[in-house]
Amino acid sequence: MKKIVALLLAAMMLMGLVGAQAEDAHQLIYGATTEISGDFAPGAWWTNNATDKMLRDFTNDCSTVVTDQGGADIVNYTVAESVEGVMNDDGTKTYTVKIKDGLKFNNGEDITIKDFVWATAFGCSSVAADVGAKLTSYLTVVGGQEYYDGTADTITGLHIVDDNTLSIQVVADKVPYYFDITYAGFTAFSMKYWLGDAVDIKDDGNGVYFEGLTKDAIADTLEAARFNASETRVSAGPYNLVEFDQASKQATLVINPYYAGNFEGQKPSIEKIIITKAEDATWADALKTGAFNFYDTMTDGTQINQAMDIIEDEANKAALGYGFDFTQFNRPGYGKIMFQSDFGPTQFVAVRKAIAHLLDRAEFANTFCAGWGGVVNGPYGTAMWMYQDAEEWLDENLDNYAYNPDQAVELLVNDGWVLDENGNDYVEGIRYKKVTAEEAGQYVHNVTLDDGTILMPLIIEWSSSEGNSVSDLLAVMLANGEQTAAAGVKINQNVMTFSELLNYMYRDASQGDKYGVPTYGMFNLATNFTPEYDQSYSFTLDPDMVAQGYNTDFIFDEQLDKLSMDMVYGVEAGDSETYLDLWQQFIARWNELLPELPLYSNVYVSVYPDWLENYTQDSYWDFEQAILYATIAE
Amino acid sequence: MGKYILKRCGYIVIVFLILSFLMYSLYNLIPTDPARQELEPMRQGLKADEYEVLYKQTRARMGLDDPLVVRYLRWMGLWKDMDGTFNGIVEGNFGYSNLYKRNVIEVIQAPMGNTIFINIFSTIAALGITIPLGIYCAVHKGKRFDSVTQVVTMLGYSIPVYIIALIFMFVFCVFWRIFPIMGQKTAGAVYANAWEEFVDMLYHICLPVIVMTFGSLGGMTRYVRSSMIDALSMDYIRTARAKGLKEKVVIYSHAWRNALLPVITSILGWFLGVFSGSVIIENTFSLNGMGKLYWAGLNNLDFELVLAIQMFYSVVSLVGSLLIDISYGLVDPRVRVDK
Repeated sequence: MKKIVALLLAAMMLMGLVGAQAEDAHQLIYGATTEISGDFAPGAWWTNNATDKMLRDFTNDCSTVVTDQGGADIVNYTVAESVEGVMNDDGTKTYTVKIKDGLKFNNGEDITIKDFVWATAFGCSSVAADVGAKLTSYLTVVGGQEYYDGTADTITGLHIVDDNTLSIQVVADKVPYYFDITYAGFTAFSMKYWLGDAVDIKDDGNGVYFEGLTKDAIADTLEAARFNASETRVSAGPYNLVEFDQASKQATLVINPYYAGNFEGQKPSIEKIIITKAEDATWADALKTGAFNFYDTMTDGTQINQAMDIIEDEANKAALGYGFDFTQFNRPGYGKIMFQSDFGPTQFVAVRKAIAHLLDRAEFANTFCAGWGGVVNGPYGTAMWMYQDAEEWLDENLDNYAYNPDQAVELLVNDGWVLDENGNDYVEGIRYKKVTAEEAGQYVHNVTLDDGTILMPLIIEWSSSEGNSVSDLLAVMLANGEQTAAAGVKINQNVMTFSELLNYMYRDASQGDKYGVPTYGMFNLATNFTPEYDQSYSFTLDPDMVAQGYNTDFIFDEQLDKLSMDMVYGVEAGDSETYLDLWQQFIARWNELLPELPLYSNVYVSVYPDWLENYTQDSYWDFEQAILYATIAE
Repeated sequence: MGKYILKRCGYIVIVFLILSFLMYSLYNLIPTDPARQELEPMRQGLKADEYEVLYKQTRARMGLDDPLVVRYLRWMGLWKDMDGTFNGIVEGNFGYSNLYKRNVIEVIQAPMGNTIFINIFSTIAALGITIPLGIYCAVHKGKRFDSVTQVVTMLGYSIPVYIIALIFMFVFCVFWRIFPIMGQKTAGAVYANAWEEFVDMLYHICLPVIVMTFGSLGGMTRYVRSSMIDALSMDYIRTARAKGLKEKVVIYSHAWRNALLPVITSILGWFLGVFSGSVIIENTFSLNGMGKLYWAGLNNLDFELVLAIQMFYSVVSLVGSLLIDISYGLVDPRVRVDK
């Protein structure tokens, strides 16, 4: 028995030695919270996984329009010689893009104008849909829809002007658009690599068209290109994706020597980056033991505090041979209560405001984020340039709905919630309000008295997803809070799966008749804002769009709808002043109507090894962008 | 025997068809809309009419507007697909993963290989330990070693495997730093040859295998022990001893062969289990196996992936139970079906 134990231990130690030999002192190992799926197609043509996107961004950064450190769309003059936009008499807009000479793919081959154009043209072809790619450029380019439908042989709005120049004509109903510079965004993808030798793209003067593009001709090439991670992968970003081990879900990136630099000409200096999967249960031990040394965008306050302990652990630093540092930044969004404002008690703005006053949001944010978060008073994140420019104005003009149960009661009383279930003056229990038949709708809790008077009780049905810590805290601090009951409000928590919650939120009757009936007045969700802050259809009054789930708040306010549209479709690109003015008006109106109640906005933290210098991350300046500026300490 | 096997194969086909229809129907009862899910990321950039057209196209492409029976038959490959061909399970197409956007068969390959690789080691290790240990404890019933083993195996049996995993991780990975804490290969390692890669993988799966083995010691050890105790108390053992046979012969030739009867069903079950992954072990150690894939499929409502995995396990179970019945007959002539 002793011999067996001794042999086992010896084998274990031997394996330990073999494993240890492979490690490199200054190797950046990134622990990703999302597993790599292995689909590395351009954009989100098929899948939309966060880590896949990061890998795509690492390998595809030869674009004419990119975002800068603040999330603003800018022309990338490392790639583009010039980008010029002209409004046409018919309401369309034409962008002419001239590409610089000398750009190369990672295999040393020259990048041609066709490599910039084909992806947009492909999105105008029905073949894209046939192979399952989600592309909609045919809706944007003049002539795209006709080419897609097969009624035209060329895409009349997309041209190869010469060997270095292309032009795109954007349909009239998509311009003017504050972010319309994004229409001039073209990224270089090797057409030969993605579509094969059998396909070509040409322009005889009437617009571009494909030759040889059929599903059968490209399906195998496209499939192979999507999942290829090796030296043969053709791309044009700061790094080459040289390996993806499907079995261990680990990807390896090495510097692309042909990379021309980002929009500031910056090139990377970290030779190799390994992307591996981090698990929720063991990420801290993995970081401690060096299984990975970069842990990106921690959102949970408890996790962040745990990371701080690791950073301060000198004994671990000695054992590992290096320590850790961190960078923090604000979330571009928030966790929220979303009201549905067209039925039941939550249709009344006073009720929504009363609920806001019944919840101590500062305490909620502090508890949920474990000290790493705060509260906002509108649909914005503190990392946005609009917030930073208008911070003082927002502080002065927005209601912060401070915790104040007395004010909540006052709001309810003034709004008519002054009766009990028999129509007598309210004394205690749940408040009731006399409502019209239209206001009453089909709300299940309504009471009709003998004289025909309809009373609506202040009972709010709340849909919350299962296993959600925000829901648990909301139940304690709001739904089951003494102040809520004392104010005469009853909030019923209904726990369900997230997909069921979405069915109720979208009122998707196709999934069952019950979902089509307005049932829940309150949902708890979270949202993040992209750099292109576009709320154009989020508050639409168009019944068709509402039915399709565009206005999930079901708030129908002309002013809010107009402001959200004007903000992006009524402002010329680059007119930041007008945009900011409309944005402030929009935020103020939103704050007044309160279709949603922001609960918390996290502070995010990323942990990295202390031998990494010059690393600065932000909400709109991700790891794949920030790492280009990082260096290894001497 | 041949007739019996043929009859059982017929039953397997019938059970498979009933099971597949029930499973398919159950998943289709879940109120979710794959077309809406697919278009959700694009919604903000589309106008109402554009969204409507795309939504209808997506539903048509996915065949979501057809009746349940048609969709089931199409999935089975007994009804024409959207492109006019028969292309379902019968034709070898196990479906399309909405999560990974590729054929299920391609998605399953790597995790299945990992799961089999890990499970073979843990099964062999567990059987290699538990059978001799169970026999030894039965022969030395009531002695100190037996008592200690009972306590230890009971601990392994009672403590949830994720607790064992976390304790072992702390001891072997954080405190002693003997084993890596996660993954299947050293990050960034460049291997000189395939052997080095293989050894690195072995090194990474050592701890998961140890945890899985430890967690499964209790059940089989106690099962073997109990079976051996029963066998050792039989009259034929007393007779064998009375004949003056050596104790080793009595134990291994007489007692163990009879004790093997109830144990063999469990052993075969274990070997069939090499195809099934462990959700907890694979998630804890960040291993890309079937358990983790199944979990991901369920969480992301990727029903074709989940159905394919479940149908595969159903076939394995059905064939497995046939094999167990046949092997039972081989080991015990009294229960042979052709007698």
